[in-house]
Amino acid sequence: MWVDLAITLVKILFIIGVTVGFFAPILTWVERKQSAIMQDRIGANRADILGFTAFGLFHCIADALKMFTKEDFIPDGANKILHTISPIIAVVPAILTFAVVPFGGQYTLFDKEVNLVISDLDVGLLFVFAIASLATYGYVIAGWSSNNNWSLLGSMRTASQMISYEVTMGLTIIGVLMVYGSMKLTTIGAIQEDFFKWGLFLQPLGFFMFLAASIAENKRIPFDNPEAESEIVAGYFTEYSGLKFGMFFMAEFIEMVTIGAIMTILFFGAWHIPFLTTATLLGWFDFLGTTGSNLVVMLIQVGVFFTKIIFFIWLQMTIRWTLPRFRYDQIMKLGWKILLPLSLANILVTGIIILALN
Amino acid sequence: MAYYVNRNLKMTWWERLYLPEIIKGMGITSRHFFLNLFGFIPFLLGTKKERPIMTVYYPEEQVQYPIAYRGRPVLAQNEDGQPACVACGLCEIACPAYCIHIEPGENSGKQNQYERWPDVFNIDYAICIFCGNCEEACPEEAIFMSDDCEISMLDRKQMLYTKEQLLTPVAELQKRIEFTRNMYAKWNY
Repeated sequence: MWVDLAITLVKILFIIGVTVGFFAPILTWVERKQSAIMQDRIGANRADILGFTAFGLFHCIADALKMFTKEDFIPDGANKILHTISPIIAVVPAILTFAVVPFGGQYTLFDKEVNLVISDLDVGLLFVFAIASLATYGYVIAGWSSNNNWSLLGSMRTASQMISYEVTMGLTIIGVLMVYGSMKLTTIGAIQEDFFKWGLFLQPLGFFMFLAASIAENKRIPFDNPEAESEIVAGYFTEYSGLKFGMFFMAEFIEMVTIGAIMTILFFGAWHIPFLTTATLLGWFDFLGTTGSNLVVMLIQVGVFFTKIIFFIWLQMTIRWTLPRFRYDQIMKLGWKILLPLSLANILVTGIIILALN
Repeated sequence: MAYYVNRNLKMTWWERLYLPEIIKGMGITSRHFFLNLFGFIPFLLGTKKERPIMTVYYPEEQVQYPIAYRGRPVLAQNEDGQPACVACGLCEIACPAYCIHIEPGENSGKQNQYERWPDVFNIDYAICIFCGNCEEACPEEAIFMSDDCEISMLDRKQMLYTKEQLLTPVAELQKRIEFTRNMYAKWNY
């Protein structure tokens, strides 16, 4: 029992370390540097320690220091309690979704079955969406409690956009569920060991719709109306400063990682390398013994999983720095008039094909 | 008169689909991304002199300005260490911002000496507008625009440059001298 607890604790620490400790700060750097390189600029490189700039990597540390030392400002007339807890409500669900995200398969280490997922829920996929939609409360309360017209506008936009795109997201997921017949993320991941059963091939339309809907859920350009700088200052976090602002920022970046992880598991073959099954990999490293080969394969597959996540983060960044912002009516039109009927049609076609094949 | 924007752009069916156009646009940006990302490798390895990004790390890395660039005006210093200026005052008159101040000096009739020279020649860069009129007005090829533009000071008084600070050996200005000769010859002065 103690061993199980220790393993779970290690997994939790690993996930929090990777998302909060690695991805969240690094992505601020990636955002700046990738936008710079895409636009033929050089990008952030001024922060240095003893003359070393390390391609501007120290800007992450400088950012964190800046956030910590800034004044924590609460405007007059703001509801202090709600104003304080709303960034927490926004950032906790983003981290919490990783509780059910498997970042590797099942391995036998020291005669012990290790499942690389913190909590292998039967309704894992539903859990992800239930928790992710909780974050909306954080954004809405943030705008509502700061006693600012721009914030209120931003939070209203957030609410309407989240509702519109959650519908599409949920209906897209139904197609995936019909194909795989399971809501368990580990099972969905395990089925995709076969390269031709990747969600990308089984649900090509679903892939694009899910990508669009999830970027809209994350409120990044081209769907960044809730925080449109040129229209409503900064939307719901206009009145936030210091670490609270940093938490909203962190929530956005962690959500990017979450989206990458969910897309990897649902559509991109989870932790599997194309045409290489786990059994083949285990066969290659057979000379290391059961534990050794399992350990090597585990490291490889976790690496593959995070490589795929990094690819999706790159994709989201590229989209963010390529496309202009949609107008508000265009967002609503895209959500209700295009994506919703398409996702319904996707379910219909998927159902017909499944019936025909059986 | 009101300005009307034609919003009824005729889009083809392919463009209305929107997704192909997005992929096309992302192709352009990611092409730039990968060119710039991997173009650095030969530059860092030293096999290639120029890296693909045109932007330079400014204070550490500087580019050669074109010869027509008008930086701060300087005084030409002849080979024998004297200013080429004869203190005629034409640049003082030509200057639209009145930033040049000249006090002339004359010789006392001795042979083999310059006839006239500036005793005091001040240019206040805090006032100068870098128009180049002084260079154009000068009949003696004595004042030239250099390529130096880094003249920021903490104190406004330091912006006033005296004759000693302004003097620049004529050898350093050779390119600009030739350039001005060509340019003003064309205009038939």
